[in-house]
Amino acid sequence: MSVKYIPVQWNSNKYLYDLVMLCGVALFLYVFLYAAPGLLSHERPINPQVHNARAFGACAFVMLTVILCIGPLARLDTRFLPLLYNRRHFGVMTVFVALTHASYIVDWYFAFSMSDKYEALLFANTSYGQLQGFPFEAFGIFALIVLIILAATSHDFWMKFLTPPVWKRIHYLIYPAYLSVVAHVSFGVLQDQQNHVFTAIFLAGATAVGGLHLVAALAERRRAPAPAADTAEWIDICDLSQMREGFAKIRLLPEGDRVAVFLHEGRLSAISNACAHQNGPLGEGRIIDCLVTCPWHGFQYDVRTGRSPAPFTEKVPTYALRLSGSTVQVDPRANPPGTPVEPVPVSGSGTAEAGV
Amino acid sequence: MSDPDKPFFVGYLPVPRALRAFLLVVCVIFVPGLAGLGLALGTAQDDPGEGAFRFDYGRQTVTGVVELTPYPVLRVTQGSEHVAVGQTLMLAGQGKTSVDARAAPLEGQLATASGVILDRGDLEMMQLRGGQNGLSAAEGAAPEMTTEPLGRWRLAGEICDGKCLAGAMRPGRGIAHKACANLCLLGDIPPVFVTTQPVEGHAFLLITGPGGTKLPAEAYHWVAQFVTVEGEVARRGDLLVLAIDPATLERAD
Repeated sequence: MSVKYIPVQWNSNKYLYDLVMLCGVALFLYVFLYAAPGLLSHERPINPQVHNARAFGACAFVMLTVILCIGPLARLDTRFLPLLYNRRHFGVMTVFVALTHASYIVDWYFAFSMSDKYEALLFANTSYGQLQGFPFEAFGIFALIVLIILAATSHDFWMKFLTPPVWKRIHYLIYPAYLSVVAHVSFGVLQDQQNHVFTAIFLAGATAVGGLHLVAALAERRRAPAPAADTAEWIDICDLSQMREGFAKIRLLPEGDRVAVFLHEGRLSAISNACAHQNGPLGEGRIIDCLVTCPWHGFQYDVRTGRSPAPFTEKVPTYALRLSGSTVQVDPRANPPGTPVEPVPVSGSGTAEAGV
Repeated sequence: MSDPDKPFFVGYLPVPRALRAFLLVVCVIFVPGLAGLGLALGTAQDDPGEGAFRFDYGRQTVTGVVELTPYPVLRVTQGSEHVAVGQTLMLAGQGKTSVDARAAPLEGQLATASGVILDRGDLEMMQLRGGQNGLSAAEGAAPEMTTEPLGRWRLAGEICDGKCLAGAMRPGRGIAHKACANLCLLGDIPPVFVTTQPVEGHAFLLITGPGGTKLPAEAYHWVAQFVTVEGEVARRGDLLVLAIDPATLERAD
């Protein structure tokens, strides 16, 4: 949560995160640039510009692959959530590495002619009608533009300015961008390789991203099955005996949203599962200091009102609840964000209902 | 439901003790892992071959007869330490520029050329110095140069730009290099065909369009790919010139 917008709100965990990330990236580049050439038994060396471009390009691909693996890993095992916490810094660093790759390419392959190098990038190869020899640079340009947009809008100011849903949709562009990077490499350097180590690592990385997202999606579907099409007005969540103090049950609603039903101090409350910050899964969070705490970035909400504690102003929708016997049920019609709902006590029996 | 037995991380709070060992393992895998990937990818790069700028030779100054194929070449009649009499040098300017404008007035005449040599096997090119310092008329009558026709051939191989392939860029061929090669060819750098099987002992042929014209535009789509093509081959000194028939260009399997 933020009181005001400052460039970066640092804390010790972020410092540590960035330090580890920078060490990894620096080591990758150092080894590629300075250790590898001595191990290559080439009669004459690869041009330094080409070597640099390859090092930064390969590094950007590896970084992007790691970044995209963090999300599904965190969904499959919550111990990976700390890697998600500061992932935006990882993404911004990736953009700088990718830009360096692009700079070496433009300043080497597309320079030294009578034409402007950026114009040459667009007209030197226009064989769009063929697979072999396709201008794979176009895929790289698209991916780079997307990465720059995502990095430029990564700050919470832009999330507030654009609104979280719009910001979220913009940031989903990371997936077409990654596919574009895969195409960029597949139509480019992959077709030239005699040594297939790069091909193997590239395929392993791309398969890991695709595979982990698929597995995570299937696991999530198992955890929160979609309600039947002929669902009643009230949606069953679970039996009361399945609720645990301080934790939530998550349920997918007919409209596609998820509700998180918490048991807190012997009473039931329901709020949207999507954090107002980055749509983090509130139901996978914990109640800390009487507040639902998002597992992604620690944003907090009063479970009874869906409101962040003052001076913060974030709000999420709330839901009406009732107990039918021992079955916890929720009204799938969301209340406006920040609407107080009286919690449902669970000590009694029969039907109890929460009122707005 | 969140697992109550698992530690819960909140970014602005200290890391739960139970998570520290796990995160330490992740860091230990991540940092050396990236170093290992850097090593694996860095050492998996293919050899770009022997082509290179021969700055180690120093500047070479030679005399010979200028011919336009239409790409300018010099049939050397008076060599230097590293350029023998009888060699045919393809000529190029700085970067991706041609020397057509300087060579055209000297066609068929004796000229002195000065610059740096690029070579890859039997492929030789000279990157001329600027202006008259690079190419100027020489005194004396030009000896008659012969062109030996070698008939029509069907060849398999790759169209490249002669300068990058000769060593201006290492590597200077292949799909990843296609746009760069096209830009060179648009700048009228002499194109070269790299054959899979030697032709009269040569793996590299200067290529032109049919009837000694410049490479036609449709050929640009085939640059840097494995193709087959038919054309008339002729020998000019130690350089073979292939005048392609663009209609016969096909992707080779």
